[in-house]
Amino acid sequence: MQPKHLAAVVLLMVMGVSLAQAKETRATIVYDDVATEISSADQQPGQLWITTGDLTRSMQFEVKPQGVCRKELCFPIPKTRKQAFLHESSGKQWFNLLAFADLVHQPVAHDEALATWYFGQRSDQRQMLTSLEAPNFTLPDMEGKLHSLADFRGKKVFLVTWASW
Amino acid sequence: MYQQLKDKNFEIISVAQDTGGVKDARPWITAAKPTFTALIDEKHLVSKLYNMVNVPTGVWINEKGRIVRPNEVAFVDDRFKTFTGMDSAPYLNALKDWVDKGAQSQYVMSPEQLKQKLSSNDPNIALAAAEFGLGEQLYSRGHPSEAIPHFKEAQRLNPKSWNYKRQAYLLGDAKRDYGTTFKDEVEKIGGSKLYYTPPDLPGSTRKDPKDQQK
Repeated sequence: MQPKHLAAVVLLMVMGVSLAQAKETRATIVYDDVATEISSADQQPGQLWITTGDLTRSMQFEVKPQGVCRKELCFPIPKTRKQAFLHESSGKQWFNLLAFADLVHQPVAHDEALATWYFGQRSDQRQMLTSLEAPNFTLPDMEGKLHSLADFRGKKVFLVTWASW
Repeated sequence: MYQQLKDKNFEIISVAQDTGGVKDARPWITAAKPTFTALIDEKHLVSKLYNMVNVPTGVWINEKGRIVRPNEVAFVDDRFKTFTGMDSAPYLNALKDWVDKGAQSQYVMSPEQLKQKLSSNDPNIALAAAEFGLGEQLYSRGHPSEAIPHFKEAQRLNPKSWNYKRQAYLLGDAKRDYGTTFKDEVEKIGGSKLYYTPPDLPGSTRKDPKDQQK
């Protein structure tokens, strides 16, 4: 191989490495069954970093001194592992969604080709059933009018699913 | 049935688990002309929240919003009797008994029984729900073929869920995409009379067909 070719190969390799280090690409985050497009996400094996602004936009969670919170629900970040959750770069604060999912025992399904991440139910959501409290939901009828299970409090309810299939 | 019971502070909420949404559910709801609350659940939220694996599945919820009888097969008429071999009358009688007697009904379960039936700490089941949810998202965003591997993964992780099989089969070609059909799957478990586990009603004379075979 001629020296100039070798130099080109080395240059390409260096570029490849730097690209792998800061690979900010678009991604789709699905949280609570709502999809949000993220224009710059850093997706690496076992890590998915988005800005804390995008965190709030896609998941309604905020990073606060006491932890990662949505209204009164708060998950403290383990102090010794803070760098696995948060880091600052290019003037923004970044948050690792996969570390958070692991912390709250939340299953994550991923489609690599379509850069889509689906976050399932956290363990606090799954454990609601054993409290025997019927999980609330809000769904439309055929005309699009929304109904919540909670609207029927004070009545006995027979909840029954069916499907056209 | 509802007409008899609706003055007794009782409500039926029927929820269609259809990824195709109103388009798939409308003809059925229109034909039934329901006087009860009929909702559309494209994302299968109710099945997810209540860990349901098939349809029809019924849950009884009392005036305080607490579950008093959990997931079980819930036929309120005999339209599918030839397929299931299941008579709806015992279940309907149980339901009427609860509407009349409330907490005193013999069909209301104790908190211990309920907790045992409702607990699910299997991480595979939770992951299966996420894979299925991802499949639905990809499907509804115009990527039906990319959805298939995720539907398959959901079926593998939670093989008990008929919801994951049947909904996925409907959205594509079962034979082409999954190498099987609903009929083949039912035959695998020993036929349609074993497809549903009958409700476990106290005093019910109907035997579990699995026991009858022994």
